[in-house]
Amino acid sequence: MSIEVQYRNRAKELLSNGEVKLVVGYTGGTTPERRRPVFISSAEQVDRLVLDDLCIANLSGYLVTESLLSDEKSVAVFLRPEGIRSINILAAENQLNPDQIVIFGFEPAGNTIKALDGTNALEFSEFVVSLSENPSVSDSDPVIEKLEKMSAQERFSFWQDEFSKCIKCYACRQACPMCYCRRCIVDCNQPQWINTSPHTLGNFEWNIIRAFHLAGRCVECGNCDRACPVNIPLRLINRRMAVEARESFDHFAGLSMTQEPVLASFKKDDSETFIL
Amino acid sequence: MPKILSADKLDNCIERWKSSGNTVIGPVRKSNISAYRPVEKASEFELDIVLPDLSIKELFFPQTEPILKYAIRKQAIDTTEFLPPSGKRIVFGARPCDASGVAIDDPLFGWDYRDEYWFQRRNETVIVSIACVKADDFCMCTSLNLAPDSTMGSDILLRPINGGKGWLVEEITDRGRDAFASIADLLQESTESPVPPAAVPEKFNLEACVEWLKNPENFESRFWKEISVRCIGCASCTYLCPTCHCFDIQDEGDTYSGIRRKNWDSCSFALFTMHTSGHNPRSTQSARWRQRIMHKFNYFPGKFSLNKCSGCGRCSRQCPVDMGITETLQEISKLLP
Amino acid sequence: MSEQFEPKIVAFVCTYCTYAGADLAGTSRLKYAPNVRLVRLPCTGRISPMFILKALQKGADGVLISGCHPGDCHFTHGNYHARRRWTVFRALLDFTGIPTDRVKYSWISAAEGVKFAELINTITEDIRALGPFTQYHGLIEETQSQASL
Repeated sequence: MSIEVQYRNRAKELLSNGEVKLVVGYTGGTTPERRRPVFISSAEQVDRLVLDDLCIANLSGYLVTESLLSDEKSVAVFLRPEGIRSINILAAENQLNPDQIVIFGFEPAGNTIKALDGTNALEFSEFVVSLSENPSVSDSDPVIEKLEKMSAQERFSFWQDEFSKCIKCYACRQACPMCYCRRCIVDCNQPQWINTSPHTLGNFEWNIIRAFHLAGRCVECGNCDRACPVNIPLRLINRRMAVEARESFDHFAGLSMTQEPVLASFKKDDSETFIL
Repeated sequence: MPKILSADKLDNCIERWKSSGNTVIGPVRKSNISAYRPVEKASEFELDIVLPDLSIKELFFPQTEPILKYAIRKQAIDTTEFLPPSGKRIVFGARPCDASGVAIDDPLFGWDYRDEYWFQRRNETVIVSIACVKADDFCMCTSLNLAPDSTMGSDILLRPINGGKGWLVEEITDRGRDAFASIADLLQESTESPVPPAAVPEKFNLEACVEWLKNPENFESRFWKEISVRCIGCASCTYLCPTCHCFDIQDEGDTYSGIRRKNWDSCSFALFTMHTSGHNPRSTQSARWRQRIMHKFNYFPGKFSLNKCSGCGRCSRQCPVDMGITETLQEISKLLP
Repeated sequence: MSEQFEPKIVAFVCTYCTYAGADLAGTSRLKYAPNVRLVRLPCTGRISPMFILKALQKGADGVLISGCHPGDCHFTHGNYHARRRWTVFRALLDFTGIPTDRVKYSWISAAEGVKFAELINTITEDIRALGPFTQYHGLIEETQSQASL
């Protein structure tokens, strides 16, 4: 039985016996290569669910939609490994109750996908720990290496070119499961903190501050990078932050539901070399 | 006899136009994005694409633009206005959907208050469009009563001839005729027939959808919630749209001096309609998506007798969650008797 | 003859240690470079990285962030939080091409008036040597606003 059929059956069962009120999954899109998020609330509709290697988006952001979970009913969601880590972070940051989330986990396996064992975040604990121990998940990236060999001036020019394209549509923020603030810092307008103007100066400010707010929280699902209509390589900056959190504080984002946020915790002996 | 502009004469044209004080602009790919940008020579153009990622709108209505500078002193307030920039421009290789998008916005910017920033640029810009010979799954101009070779908004329409060696010239406006008079000697007479325009299938019946939208009973329909439940509320559809025109005025600076800018804004954002009191009349994403559709196909046509959509399909093409105007109108079609 | 370049430096300091240290430098009649504009905040934990960017946006050539030594925080651990943030933010600035030499961090206690004066002199000379932050100033010019510093 294919994983798609297997998960459709499970969705049908959960919806019919009322264990979940909603299944957030994928369905076919405008073109054969596209998959789009779909919300299934009755057993009759489960055949709309599609699951294959083209299902890439991290759907966990929908779970923190205002009032979705406030009735304490459960919701099922299709998640890749990064999505499961997002659930851990959202739980650690008290944005959702992980007991309300039923996980349909899957991961890429060559050109196809395979199911992950487990139904709630707790049951994936060991799996997530194994991710943190697997170096292929993080670390080296050829473009980052190239950037780090450049002089500061060259790097500045690289980002100046990239950020000058930004049109401040905030697709990066809206697509990101970690950007759940009711009022984003850029929307704080009394006074206006971050420039809303999409000139390069304002774009530097916005993109740097967003990267900082995601430092140690980003699971590198790639939602922002794919959503960007002007193709700014946001993954690079987020990867660099993930490496920093790991190297400086041994922090792997979304390791568990009780993990302390890296920038809201400290150790008295945190090392540094730059403070005069 | 019809005239053709041969592709190998394009450099001479650019030179000629530039020497008479024009900036020549066209689709260019830079830093992994294609957009209308100034060029020095023809080889910089990227013409063999369905359409540029960014629309032509920014040439007339930039994403950010200074309008006023202020300095507050003890006794007085000094202000300096930024006048609309002037300078003749020729946009070469515009897509007909982009050109018509600009024409759709003309009545809006000239309605109760005449926006000189828009019209100064409009009057000084010649739009030379190239009829589309390719389309993708998202193109939908034919559903909007337009076509891959529409002349709306264009000053000149070029139709590609076989082998990509040139274009058949169709002069539409006096502005276009003047611009091409300066290169008349570079054009050749020809009897070649143009490549037929791309086939763009009709995606929905607009008239029927508009009837549904006009029915007040449908304003509160469950449809809006269902169609937009996956909308994440970013502004990529509105910012890439050649006709979306909303803007925000922002003061940048401090209490004593600063600059007032006009920036793109979007009805997709919750902040767009947020009142100072905290009340938001469009408090849900579905209300915001409904507004976008209603504005384009109900309110705007009601005022200006034009659909506020030129069918470029960028909204659907770039949507992070694969939504867009096409899907919404197609789904409305399904609700019709 | 060209005039010597005078760098503009903004210092964000905590009121309990570094600001008191600066005060001590003043009352001790210590002479130090006049290139620094001090901004006093309750604690280094209150110094948002956004402030650093804001200073650069207003035309600063360098920024200093300074507060109590570890263990000395008036609020017991504001500076420990700040230290983590600085580590990450410093890497971020470096990655986006904002030279780490232009943004300095220090611990200066209320008793270290001499350290404060010396540090300001050193930083001023360091940043003078780097010259104006032309890349960032270029971005400011593009906006047609004037840098208020």
